[in-house]
Amino acid sequence: MSNKVYAFRDKVNLTFFPKHQDAIYRRLEDKHTSVEVDEDPLGTLMTINLGPQHPATHGVLRCVIQVNGELILKSVVDVGYLHRGVEKLAENKTYQEFMPYTDRMDYLAPYSNNVAWCLAVEKLAGVEVPYRAQWIRTIACEMARISAHLLWLGTMVMDAGAISMFLWTFRERENLYDLFDKMAGVRFTVSHCRIGGIQYDLSDDIRKGIINWKENFKKEFKSWKKLLTNNGIWYRRNIGIGVVSKEDAIAMGFTGPSLRASGVPHDIRLFEPYLVYDKLDFDIPVRDEGDCFARFQIRMEEIAQSIRLLDQLLESIPSGDIRADNAKHTYPSKNEVYYSMEGMIHDFMMTDMGVCPPKGAEIYSAIEGPKGELGFHLISDGTGSPWRCKIKSPSFSNLQMLEKMLEGSMIADTVVLIGSIDPVMGEADK
Amino acid sequence: MASNIIKGDKSERELTFMGKLYFPEIFKGMAFSIKHIFRPTVTLQYPEEKPDLGPEFRGRPVLVKEKDQERCVACGLCARACPPLAISMQANETADPKERFPEVFEIDMLRCIYCGFCEEVCPEEAIVMSPDYDFNFVDRKDAVYGKDRLLIDKNQLQPRLNFLAEKRNKQFGKNINFKEDNNGHILRDRTND
Ligand code: SF4
Ligand code: SF4
Repeated sequence: MSNKVYAFRDKVNLTFFPKHQDAIYRRLEDKHTSVEVDEDPLGTLMTINLGPQHPATHGVLRCVIQVNGELILKSVVDVGYLHRGVEKLAENKTYQEFMPYTDRMDYLAPYSNNVAWCLAVEKLAGVEVPYRAQWIRTIACEMARISAHLLWLGTMVMDAGAISMFLWTFRERENLYDLFDKMAGVRFTVSHCRIGGIQYDLSDDIRKGIINWKENFKKEFKSWKKLLTNNGIWYRRNIGIGVVSKEDAIAMGFTGPSLRASGVPHDIRLFEPYLVYDKLDFDIPVRDEGDCFARFQIRMEEIAQSIRLLDQLLESIPSGDIRADNAKHTYPSKNEVYYSMEGMIHDFMMTDMGVCPPKGAEIYSAIEGPKGELGFHLISDGTGSPWRCKIKSPSFSNLQMLEKMLEGSMIADTVVLIGSIDPVMGEADK
Repeated sequence: MASNIIKGDKSERELTFMGKLYFPEIFKGMAFSIKHIFRPTVTLQYPEEKPDLGPEFRGRPVLVKEKDQERCVACGLCARACPPLAISMQANETADPKERFPEVFEIDMLRCIYCGFCEEVCPEEAIVMSPDYDFNFVDRKDAVYGKDRLLIDKNQLQPRLNFLAEKRNKQFGKNINFKEDNNGHILRDRTND
């Protein structure tokens, strides 16, 4: 390696994980070069580290970019700053014990993750879930989708320069969290889903609370739409920025709203219905343009569709149990535990051994989370904890496209680009 | 079910004349902000004002103290169920050879994630989630709560116990007519047994 080629690397003093840093800078400088070129003769190129502590990167995402003036020539995206070994943790916990950890993956929509995990385990172990529980899970999933999209809307508009919008969406999100608090006991990390059902029932008061919130939210949402429609500043920041073609989107594994913004009408809720989505009416918004504005439009319409789903879901909740009554699959009811010896034995067995799916069982189960396809690939060895758990997290696959989107765009657009694919680093880094 | 794929229409991407002028939109944004100034405030002046938390709130886990004694029988189930391994305990026997009690019971509040699994599995309703959430420490050793700080009198926890009795205990399966004093094994007077 001649000093000429790796110009930047030699200038910096690498102290923190030097090998990793070295590889990143080398990758940046090697990108798109097939011949050894002379060092930038005029000295106009600059290497910038955007993140991992930059507030606009939505967590700890690091983008190393090489710029010529305002134009980004090359970029390398570095993930992994929030890696907590979630997949490995899953292999050392029982299925039930691992559930609270999923809250902390996509921490903007914890309920969706809970549901994704529980559905995967239920598929693996063949657990039947009562209809009422599925219905309540669907309500909570749609609420989680709205709350995740509200955060995205606030931060995306803030990234483009308008801070007050952020405060308004956060106020609505706060109301939503109050409802989660009433429903699950905690505002943020709900841990309300259980294998085989849910923890507490949804009372009629809470149902009315959600309906009240929803009616109020419809008005708010309309006014936000009015503010952003026909807004010259907003349009010019978004239209034609970060265009992703349909082919690229499929090749790089885009999922969720970003994929639909590139013209691929894929939504798991529609094509492989889970929970009770096959009983409900909703539309899948799709755009062909694939730019930031298309992604914005898709998410705005998804909020409207979630409201429409909540309208149908809250009209009446089917009556019935909220957890399967099978001591081999779920915990017995507490009364039974306090009262009978069998109940107590089941309580101990469930805690210590957990749900034991058949040996060798292997499944992949995915749901349409707010960010896209959130899937779990589980392999069982017949014990209470998975032999292998692979998490397919939407933020991680969406981020694969970011390098390509950044190259060729302006520095000022990076924050809008990151905002428009809406990554959550807790999930991307797992 | 009628679910459709809907495509947007091209006109949504075009600015009208007013939008192109740029300035009217700035004033529209200002008008929105000014309108919001006159709305009631929603900010809570914490810690002077505290949020209104119902009995369903999961704060720090505490041990139930009944008749000056813990209900806990040191079965160790909560320590087994706790996902981040926050609970540790050491059991010992009481004067009555049939019963055990926790000699040491510690919860590391830095590890606890307030999931409520300990409460959910406890066969004696001896550990419950209290509404207490704002506590802090200046030292890691301070964060390990022993029995002195974990034991809370049953009367203070009554709202949560009532909530559990109503919401959690009888929800599915057979309806069993359960007597509450079943949960006080350790308190029973066995001199005449
Ligand atoms: S608190 Fe409950 S679960 Fe934990 S050791 Fe005591 S009796 Fe057992
Ligand atoms: S609330 Fe959860 S984390 Fe905390 S002590 Fe109980 S089981 Fe452990």
